[in-house]
Amino acid sequence: MKRPVLTLYCLLVYAFLLAPILVVVGASFNAGNFLTFPPQGLSLRWYVTFFHNDVFMRAIRTSLWVAAVATVISGTIGTMAALYYVQHAGRWKEAVRIAMLAPLLLPEVLTAIALLFFVYAIGIGTTTMIGMIAGHVLITLPFVFINVSASLESFDPSWDMAARSLGAGRLARFRRIMLPLIKPGVIGGALFAFIISFDTFTISFMLKGIGTSTLPIQLFDYLRTNFTPEAAAVSTVSILLTLVGVIVSEKVLGLRIHRF
Amino acid sequence: MTEVSIERLTKTFGSARAVDGISIRIADGEFISLLGPSGCGKTTTLKMIAGFEEASEGAIRFDGKDVVNVPAEKRDIGMVFQNYALFPHMTVDQNLAFGLEMRKIAKPEILNRIAKVLDMVQLGGYSDRYPNQLSGGQQQRVALARALVIEPKILLLDEPLANLDAKLREEMRVFIRDLQRRVGITTVYVTHDQAEAMTMSDRVVVMFGGRIAQIGAPSDIYERPENLEVAQFVGQVNLVKGTVTGAAGPGKSRVASVFGEVAVDSRTDHAPGIAVTLSLRPEAIELKPAGRGRAQGKVTARYYSGSIIDYRIALDSGETLHVQTFPNTRIAEGDRVSVHAPADGFWLLGAAK
Ligand SMILES: Nc1ncnc2c1ncn2[C@@H]1O[C@H](COP(=O)(O)OP(=O)(O)OP(=O)(O)O)[C@@H](O)[C@H]1O
Ligand SMILES: [Mg+2]
Repeated sequence: MKRPVLTLYCLLVYAFLLAPILVVVGASFNAGNFLTFPPQGLSLRWYVTFFHNDVFMRAIRTSLWVAAVATVISGTIGTMAALYYVQHAGRWKEAVRIAMLAPLLLPEVLTAIALLFFVYAIGIGTTTMIGMIAGHVLITLPFVFINVSASLESFDPSWDMAARSLGAGRLARFRRIMLPLIKPGVIGGALFAFIISFDTFTISFMLKGIGTSTLPIQLFDYLRTNFTPEAAAVSTVSILLTLVGVIVSEKVLGLRIHRF
Repeated sequence: MTEVSIERLTKTFGSARAVDGISIRIADGEFISLLGPSGCGKTTTLKMIAGFEEASEGAIRFDGKDVVNVPAEKRDIGMVFQNYALFPHMTVDQNLAFGLEMRKIAKPEILNRIAKVLDMVQLGGYSDRYPNQLSGGQQQRVALARALVIEPKILLLDEPLANLDAKLREEMRVFIRDLQRRVGITTVYVTHDQAEAMTMSDRVVVMFGGRIAQIGAPSDIYERPENLEVAQFVGQVNLVKGTVTGAAGPGKSRVASVFGEVAVDSRTDHAPGIAVTLSLRPEAIELKPAGRGRAQGKVTARYYSGSIIDYRIALDSGETLHVQTFPNTRIAEGDRVSVHAPADGFWLLGAAK
């Protein structure tokens, strides 16, 4: 180690970032009845409880379903918006960018309240999941947009011209040239969207409607009256889900940016 | 094969005329270069031929058929870009197959054609490489192969050698020229390098500010430039003031200058007594030890560069001359010299301004 101070600094930053997660994971293996760390004895009993808890199971299914739908919609709209932004926006470029990033700049609670008023004003209400999904799309859109437009900026227009000169129409050019070349950006953006949607509290809380619940809301509800290690087990499972998501996309879909 | 005819082609960007009413007829199998300084409209012209830019006015005909409204992907052109524009996510084979797949050609035929074209550009064995695993020169040849493998009507190249080092550039000039001859494809080549245009082309189109200054064979452009701008763009040139003293046969005038009275080639006739400007190429001049000849002067600088020596001569009459000689010339800086210029080294550019 050539720079002990820097090394120590980095270690501290990592500790600061990772320690809470490690504590939660550790606490989830608790054999005792209370959410404590270090755990009092090791056991998987709280995982068993969790997997037998219908309320949590329903919430996790809702969360996964909403995140999946929101990711697909957000990925499609965000990619299209990025295409417009980079290729056609011209002098509106800056305006388009600010509009697309607005959900990121506004406090989420404002977006949520505004959307709540809106869905009631137009008569959709919160009896279906449409409002909540719209909210999730709204807050995940900027992440898709940023990722895809970054990869589009490094897309050389002469690739498109070369493909045209070789006889490729619009669709073939998009499918065979552009999409493969911006794929890392699209997948990266979609991954962000999924994780953010899975994780968001405020939007879901405002728009979920009666009877449905997402995992973060259910967890919050649970912790208001209980303080068992089951909460830690729930958290650990969601961390695991996120991690699996990242690794699978990386391996299967090829998130590696520097393949060429 | 294909004959290309460009008629009063114009491209305006806002109020700026990037290409301003140019007309060129390109014969079947001809190699034409568009030569001119940066910003003169070469790329814009090429893009209009390719279909990447819409023409504001004028016509482009392939074998007599106007293609102005035909989109680029239907024009059947092969194009080579300055940065090669190889698809980075495809291997050499996949890059070459792309255009053939777009034409719905059967797999065995595709493989057949790829093998043939790779052989032609001497890249057999590189099939499975990705573009970033190739040198600049190899990428260049893949780009060329990709444009040729679809057997297009016309080959268009936009400064394809600009990113290569000097030695490779000279090799590739010859390579591309030979390949073009063998294939016999009508070719438009854009460059701002006059030596490149000269060595490769059947005819050179010299452009300035969106207009054509001159079209002609390389020797025509070099030896009989239309005006001062062309003369200066295609090589070093000395300007000599003179006065017309009379006619000297068809396309020749007698002109008196510091080098005496000589019969000079010209494009137009000039009346006696008119002041004219003559061009005199540096390599046409001969230096001899002082004392003989009319024009006397002094060597003010001498630059040795291997194949030639460059001299700057201050004439006693006040002019400065630029002279190029073989490297075995034994004349040093500061020497007094007499300067000889044969009559056919001169060209009458026009009336003096
Ligand atoms: N899309 C455009 N919008 C506005 N002006 C343009 C556009 N494309 C080209 N021009 C202008 O048209 C003129 C000709 O450009 P062009 O690219 O054809 O030049 P060029 O001869 O190829 O130059 P170079 O040797 O630098 O490549 C330039 O003045 C350029 O600024
Ligand atoms: Mg150009």
